[in-house]
Amino acid sequence: MRFTAHPDAVARLVQNLLGMGYVVVGPTLREGVVRLDELAEPESLASGVVDIQGPGSYATAGGSPYVFSAVNGPDSAKKYFHPAEVELVKLTEDGQGVKVVSTFRPDRKYAFVGLRPCDLRGLQIFDKTMLVPGLEDPVYSSLRKDSILVVANCTRAGGNCFCASMGTGPEASSGFDAAITELPTKLLIDVPDKNVGLFQGIGLNPATDEDIRLGKKMIEAAREQMVNGIERMNLAESMYAGMESPVWEEAAERCLACGNCTMVCPTCFCNTVQDRIDLRDGSVSRVRTWDSCLAKDFAYSAGGNPRLSRMARYRQFVMHKLAYWPEEFGDYGCVGCGRCVTWCPVGIDIRATVKGVLAGQAGITQEQAGVQIV
Amino acid sequence: MSRQMLSRLTRAVVSGVMKETPDTYTLLFDLGGGRSPADFEPGQFNMLYVYGVGEVPISVASARGEKSLMHTVRSVGRVTSLLTKLEGGESIGLRGPFGRPWPLADAEGKQLLLIAGGLGFPPLRPVIEEALAAPDRFGGVRIIYGARTPADLIYRREYERWGAAPGGSLLLTVDRGTNEWPGNVGVVTTLFRKAGIDGKQAVAFVCGPELMIRFSILELQKLGVSEGNIFVSMERNMSCGAGTCGHCQFGPLFICRDGPVFAYPRVKKYFPREGI
Repeated sequence: MRFTAHPDAVARLVQNLLGMGYVVVGPTLREGVVRLDELAEPESLASGVVDIQGPGSYATAGGSPYVFSAVNGPDSAKKYFHPAEVELVKLTEDGQGVKVVSTFRPDRKYAFVGLRPCDLRGLQIFDKTMLVPGLEDPVYSSLRKDSILVVANCTRAGGNCFCASMGTGPEASSGFDAAITELPTKLLIDVPDKNVGLFQGIGLNPATDEDIRLGKKMIEAAREQMVNGIERMNLAESMYAGMESPVWEEAAERCLACGNCTMVCPTCFCNTVQDRIDLRDGSVSRVRTWDSCLAKDFAYSAGGNPRLSRMARYRQFVMHKLAYWPEEFGDYGCVGCGRCVTWCPVGIDIRATVKGVLAGQAGITQEQAGVQIV
Repeated sequence: MSRQMLSRLTRAVVSGVMKETPDTYTLLFDLGGGRSPADFEPGQFNMLYVYGVGEVPISVASARGEKSLMHTVRSVGRVTSLLTKLEGGESIGLRGPFGRPWPLADAEGKQLLLIAGGLGFPPLRPVIEEALAAPDRFGGVRIIYGARTPADLIYRREYERWGAAPGGSLLLTVDRGTNEWPGNVGVVTTLFRKAGIDGKQAVAFVCGPELMIRFSILELQKLGVSEGNIFVSMERNMSCGAGTCGHCQFGPLFICRDGPVFAYPRVKKYFPREGI
């Protein structure tokens, strides 16, 4: 069902979710950056903040009349469902062997307010990695299963956004618990009947055709702002064919192998498990942390390091998203959020890499293909 | 197999240690939790856990009919250096088994070629034991094994029995010989012509360094072995065992979950490339 509500309904929704016992997560402003964080109160939302993003650059300004005015900051929902650091198991050893003291137990359920459509798709892609039947990840599945996802459709594109070309936004199509589109004087809310209760105490009016048309128009405007994207036609095949392109080496020469792209990526799932010993009692925590295929020793094994060169590692990151993922999980691993472009310290742009590789396939120069290297 | 296995450890108590080479040891384990070697299929691997240090993926070296679970470990890193120092009665943690086994049923009635290089031999050991225990099941078992030097050859105590078993034959080679070494010198493929391979009838299981696998495939094809009858066991950095940590990615494949054993056509597209 589609309703409209007064713009104050966002604050009331946050209060409702807090009252229902959820840990409510939304965009907040911290040190000049829009970060996803736990909301103690509705006023914590980064209302009115606008982001200014470019390759390797990020800034914020104020002055927007909208609550969900800034698009993605560095955080995506993965940091809540796939924590950057989590104790999987605690063990002791008593001379008779290793004993399990405790295993991960979720102590919270999350509700997201203002999740972007690209990040919703990011979670749906993450599900395919972590919720394989019979191989469900115990941490991810237990945190994800009772979560509430309230999406904010985008009526403005950020400087590096290209969700339109990846087919993941700027409007969420399914898989949300409610989706809000901010119109100039009211909220347009798309909510399945079963979730109307989330809006208890909020005055909802049936949306008129005019409201729905205006919402579509504003979303289309955001779509049109995204002039730079990735062409998906035959993309995986073309990327395979372009694996020996000189473009990889050119990008790798600039790449610092810092792993920022993989940290901010909403679908990057790679992780590693470490043993941490408590010196007081000798117990061991097996702690899982995020890891990155850009790290030099990531693929190292006794048989050698198959991706020793930075070129091979950068290529792995891009090929995984655009060529391997479709074969592995039936969908691209890139949602077009643009985070890897913004948060790359040297501004390497995955769109330029792809264009360069495809230009080589088409036998034209990168300049002819419109590749801009900043 | 549930991902809860991330926290579920089986206790494995060392019941025997055999020194194979100066840096490689074969360990026998008694298992807790009512588990037996029959639970571990040839070609699968386990994550062996040293308390407070970490885990490593090690192939199952025992056959399902054997009394103890067997793992052969070379000391190369933090965890394996500790595993190779274990003594009888000491225990470790074990998660597993993981991965897809060798497709023994696909080789029934065929000539079974077992081609191993270096530490690629242990995952083929259970195949040898199971195949030689049922010689009528296969049209002969040809074992072809190469190591760097004579001192690097493992399972030497078994050679006589394997070579003499009905249907069995064993050919050895080393990259660098010594004055005392009477056998073949050269890479494993130099033995193929001597092995009496029946290309039309053969099913090959290959495990070893990637380069050795690559050349073995080329030579097997020259002898008429079809791609679909070649199976390879791949090595990558398997860590979680469930396809969620990303360390063992090989193109779109997770070696831990989709492999480590693959029919060659499944990996052909990615195999010859560097840096995958």
